[in-house]
Amino acid sequence: MGIVFTRLFSSVFGNREARILVLGLDNAGKTTILYRLQMGEVVSTIPTIGFNVETVQYNNIKFQVWDLGGQTSIRPYWRCYFPNTQAIIYVVDSSDTDRLVTAKEEFHAILEEDELKGAVVLVYANKQDLPGALDDAAITESLELHKIKSRQWAIFKTSAIKGEGLFEGLDWLSNALKSKSS
Amino acid sequence: MFSLAYGLWKYIFNKTEFHVLILGVDKAGKTTLLEKIKSIYLKGEGLTPDRIVPTVGLNIGRIEDANAKLVFWDLGGQVGLRTIWEKYYQEAHAIIYVIDAAAASSFEDAKSALEKVLRHEDLKGAPLLIFANKQDLPGVITDEELARYLQLKELDERPYKFQAVSAYDGRGIKSGIDWVVEQMERSKRTEVLRARAGLTGQI
Repeated sequence: MGIVFTRLFSSVFGNREARILVLGLDNAGKTTILYRLQMGEVVSTIPTIGFNVETVQYNNIKFQVWDLGGQTSIRPYWRCYFPNTQAIIYVVDSSDTDRLVTAKEEFHAILEEDELKGAVVLVYANKQDLPGALDDAAITESLELHKIKSRQWAIFKTSAIKGEGLFEGLDWLSNALKSKSS
Repeated sequence: MFSLAYGLWKYIFNKTEFHVLILGVDKAGKTTLLEKIKSIYLKGEGLTPDRIVPTVGLNIGRIEDANAKLVFWDLGGQVGLRTIWEKYYQEAHAIIYVIDAAAASSFEDAKSALEKVLRHEDLKGAPLLIFANKQDLPGVITDEELARYLQLKELDERPYKFQAVSAYDGRGIKSGIDWVVEQMERSKRTEVLRARAGLTGQI
């Protein structure tokens, strides 16, 4: 009964919570993005071993954002965080062209996971401030985003350092989450 | 025996699932249309037009009509993103092409993008519904005027229809969807897609 009231309450007042995983290879910029979203500042980060988790309130949605370490050795542990996830933010270093193939393989492996079947996908083509960074169309091509046919996806050019593109992505994400649940 | 009966039951009562691609150049109103379709058929609130941001990827809408399940794929229309369109052609049963009929300056681009779509081998025989959108705006042209302007040549081997709509207030949408469902139900392409899906064991 309590659940019914909570549901009613949140549908009337528009406050929703969503669990979002931020994934991507090491050095893609996940932690910088997380803190840029949460505090609006650039913090200096060290490679994440384990995870950082913060809550970001935006567009009436409370995003619980999990930033998981991206190094090869710890990627297998991502799976522990998959249940109850509504969305994935996949971060790519757009200037690291050598590792785009790896980024693609990890990405599609994640999408195959049963527990993430219903999650919507937001891709940040990050580090647009660096010379030689590929644009959104090129990253779409390299990640083979077009193979996604049964869930919503979007890609945004971002620069976590300059703070560009991140909130445009969250705008899309809050729309996608709202239209999915209605 | 049970599986035989179940198969028969499924055959009779299961609705066919159709994939409809919503294409058009940027600012044509594709996502607004998709949200309107959702609000018409699902009776829930679709997103209101002021909340919609340009699409850079794929939006999906699923609705059910009396006899069919429809899955709409709404793809972004900006120039750099149009290369994705063709990756969705093979599995599409029909196309809805949206044109902003109030923006004469976009017609050339809309026409050449549409001609490119129609030439593509993977879309052979797919029914084409062209929406002359934004009928709620002043200075808009009708569906007939748009048809005359576009003068499409590669339409011969596919069923097509021009329809005046407004994704903003919803006029014309339902009769357009009714037409496209009817076309897909008797289209040869549907049989071809079904056979192909049967071979690979998926629907």
